[in-house]
Amino acid sequence: MTLAGSRMGALSFLNKKPDMNGPGKGGGLLGWLDRRYQLTALTEFLRHKEVPLGSHWMGWYYLGGITLFFFIVQVVTGVLLLMYYQPGETTAYESIRFLTTKVPFGWLIRSIHSWSAHLMIISLVLHMFSTMMLKAYRPPRELTWVSGYLLFLLTLGFGFSGYLLPWNKLAYFATTVGTNIVASVPLLGSWLLQVLRGGQDVTINTLYRFFAGHVVILPLAVVGFIGLHIVFIQRQGMAPPLGAKVAPRGMKFFPSFALRDLLLWLACLMVLLALAVFLPYGPGIPGMDWELGQKADPLAPAYPGIKPEWYFLWEYQLLKEFPPHLFGLEGPQVCLLLIALMFGIWGLIPWLDRRVRRDQPSPAFSDFGWAALLFLTYLTLLAWDIGAGAASGAGDELTALRNIARVCAWWTLGAGALVIVVRYLRYEHRWFLLSGAALLQVTLHGLVGLTYLLAGVISVVLAAVWIVVAHFVGSRTDRRSET
Amino acid sequence: MFSSAAFAVDQNSTKPNPKLAEMIAAKDESGKAIMGPEEQTYFNGLNDNLRELLNQAVQKETITRPEHLAALLSLQLRPQKMELVLQNNCLLCHSDSANHSADTLFTLTPAPGATPSHMNLKEVVEDVHFRRGVSCAGCHGGDPTADLGHAHVKEWPEKDRDKNREWIVQFCARCHSDPTFMHQFNPALPTDQLAKFKESPHGRTLLEKHDSRAAQCVSCHGVHGIRPAKDPQSKVYARTVPETCGACHADSKVMAGFTRADGSPLPTTQLAEYRLSVHGQALLGRGDLGAPACNTCHGNHAATPPGIAGVSRSCSLCHSANASLFDGSKHKQAFDRNNWSECAKCHGNHTIAKTNDSMLASGKGSLCGDCHREFAKDNPNCIATADYFRQTITRIDEARNNFSAISEKLAAKGLDVEPISNQLTELTDGLKKSRTHIHSFSRDNFQQVALPAEQAVQNTDALVKKAREEYNSRQVGLAASIGLIGLLMLTIYLKLRRLEKPGE
Repeated sequence: MTLAGSRMGALSFLNKKPDMNGPGKGGGLLGWLDRRYQLTALTEFLRHKEVPLGSHWMGWYYLGGITLFFFIVQVVTGVLLLMYYQPGETTAYESIRFLTTKVPFGWLIRSIHSWSAHLMIISLVLHMFSTMMLKAYRPPRELTWVSGYLLFLLTLGFGFSGYLLPWNKLAYFATTVGTNIVASVPLLGSWLLQVLRGGQDVTINTLYRFFAGHVVILPLAVVGFIGLHIVFIQRQGMAPPLGAKVAPRGMKFFPSFALRDLLLWLACLMVLLALAVFLPYGPGIPGMDWELGQKADPLAPAYPGIKPEWYFLWEYQLLKEFPPHLFGLEGPQVCLLLIALMFGIWGLIPWLDRRVRRDQPSPAFSDFGWAALLFLTYLTLLAWDIGAGAASGAGDELTALRNIARVCAWWTLGAGALVIVVRYLRYEHRWFLLSGAALLQVTLHGLVGLTYLLAGVISVVLAAVWIVVAHFVGSRTDRRSET
Repeated sequence: MFSSAAFAVDQNSTKPNPKLAEMIAAKDESGKAIMGPEEQTYFNGLNDNLRELLNQAVQKETITRPEHLAALLSLQLRPQKMELVLQNNCLLCHSDSANHSADTLFTLTPAPGATPSHMNLKEVVEDVHFRRGVSCAGCHGGDPTADLGHAHVKEWPEKDRDKNREWIVQFCARCHSDPTFMHQFNPALPTDQLAKFKESPHGRTLLEKHDSRAAQCVSCHGVHGIRPAKDPQSKVYARTVPETCGACHADSKVMAGFTRADGSPLPTTQLAEYRLSVHGQALLGRGDLGAPACNTCHGNHAATPPGIAGVSRSCSLCHSANASLFDGSKHKQAFDRNNWSECAKCHGNHTIAKTNDSMLASGKGSLCGDCHREFAKDNPNCIATADYFRQTITRIDEARNNFSAISEKLAAKGLDVEPISNQLTELTDGLKKSRTHIHSFSRDNFQQVALPAEQAVQNTDALVKKAREEYNSRQVGLAASIGLIGLLMLTIYLKLRRLEKPGE
């Protein structure tokens, strides 16, 4: 029996009909409930459910659960915040201020909500990349990947919409800049911007929209997709290691895995509490700082140095790297198309990775994951600046940007080299073409001084030529060996 | 040849006549267009009226050369100003280098030393008189719409008008002392400048002693580039006034022979001293236009040394609270008896430094101490009061600095520091008032404002303690929560171990 087939009977308890005359399991309340809802079937399912143990580290299996934990924290703290938050031009900022300064433990709730939001995105990104590297998206779990991918997008939406709600200066201008990007969407741009903002500019109407999205629309969608995601996982079980043709050795989900999950959740809660108490406004790095500051003033001039939250920094930087016009289109339009293409590829990975669909290793896609990480790292560091601009003491902006690019390039190259060495020695990977191309782009931009786009085009073209030549040489070698 | 494609103009707009079109398309010997792209863009944006005026100017040959046209267009003037230029034959003729030598040519790029400083074309079109339509003929006479003619005004001296400058004040006063005439242009502008000037040392030196080194109208306002005092490029703009006055008063050659009322030579160190002073740094360094320049204390057209009594009057214009307290103090009588200038005695005049609390010290070499040891030997209370002032102010100031730093740290820890900030505002306010009330030189008067400040210190201290307790309770709460969670984790861990014990 194939592994997928072995899971087909899971969740069969959902089909059981109530048996009011049956014996039920035990007496009392449990027996009473059992006769009505067939709880025995559920407990039997849980008793037999197993988590596959394989060659890879068991820790990756917990990341989804940790993300879920942070989401639950978000819901709980979000509901508590909702008890005091009043959206409105004269109330939004004031109510958050009142909550954090006057309401007992209000500061703690907001701090936990903010920390948990960032930690949730961190664990979600780790979960997504671990799934990608371990090829857990392969058949029959394509839709699990897609539902998780949609959850990732929805979570980014949570971050973006929640940012505006305190109606403070930073949030106002960051949202103005952020929503402005939508205007570059071809044909529909201005209409979309109008819809998103509820008018031409970011006004209190925008806040109402974002509020409705943040506390009603997105939670409903996320809860729906989490449910779907979990049903898929329960129905098919967790993905076993690649190449396992038969059900591998497993760990009982209940109690072994569930108790470990609980242990980790408690550890996360501990860390969350400590961070919320000791760093109530975040660690103070760009995009991770939620001090309330001053109230939003639409008439005030935008101040320099406005940056989005850390998980949007790479997009922000990529937009900056594009010239005003390219290929007869506006630069931001081309950039948005590129970002949409990248997101599209990411969502369709289960179908694009054809080798893994045949249950064969696909080193190119592993390397693609690492290349994506290096690509995101370099752009994020550039936007973050990591202090290189100020440290260089350069008077003019151009020299400061060159210094930032150089320092960030060295950091990315260092990280990339470390990753390649570890993959080579520890995991015996031999396919590094895409991560190599990503590092080449970093070198050409950060160290040689080419523009970011030119460096990217050179790297992509070289990688493509390499792949074509390798394919051609490989085919000829195969034909010779056949003859 | 003129290329119509080069000009993206409306079909209805006035077309350049052939002469003008030829000038626009003209090229120099190397084949390069004489009109640069910026001038061409400016020309394309001109309205019909200006195009017609250009056509007329070319037709009447007040503009004859493409270089001349390019120079005029390069000014990039607003339509109203360009209209004035194109209707002013004096300026059109005197801006064409083919017609005039350096002495009478308005040029875009004045050569230092070779071109008179007042013959700057960019400056003359910014002149307030030119902008209000007075233009060249207003001072020089003649008819600006006539093709030729130089019927200069009779008020100008025939000879030596550069050496003897007395005529200038009377000449400017023809208009500026005439309220009816001035009302047409700026009803708010005073017309008493000449009367004031005559009473000033500048006026007396020029008009009575006939010494043309003395400043007159053009010394401060300039000649062709005269701008309103509120224009930052004006020679009499607040931030520029010290330089304008210093042009003479910091020049020992110009000031040689001028003396004070007591006969001592007039110093030339005022500008250097002012630059270092708290006022100079505020005005010139920070650009604070509220800070006084020379004219704030000395006056403008009636500029004069304030004198001993006048110093306190000048200072009290801004520092009214200090002045009023001083007037009610015992010091006032003592200063009057000794004929001491009030404020300047302790603070100086041009070189007024930022005050600090050490001025209240009673030791040797200190301001209060030295004076009192010499003039109030028989009154030990004075030194004791100074000591009391200083100790109280130092205590409040140290508390404020300390609590400000603590408040920032507490805010970073996420504590509500709004009540602390409110108290700090009261404390700062009290400190300012206390420093002001020193000028009463009375312990009772001082205490009226110092005691609330000291109360604010105590209140802040209590609030800081409360905030620290709050932070400690947060840490205790966190430790207890972590302990409980840890205990729960330990229980789960032991349970897991028991469950997964081999053999069970």
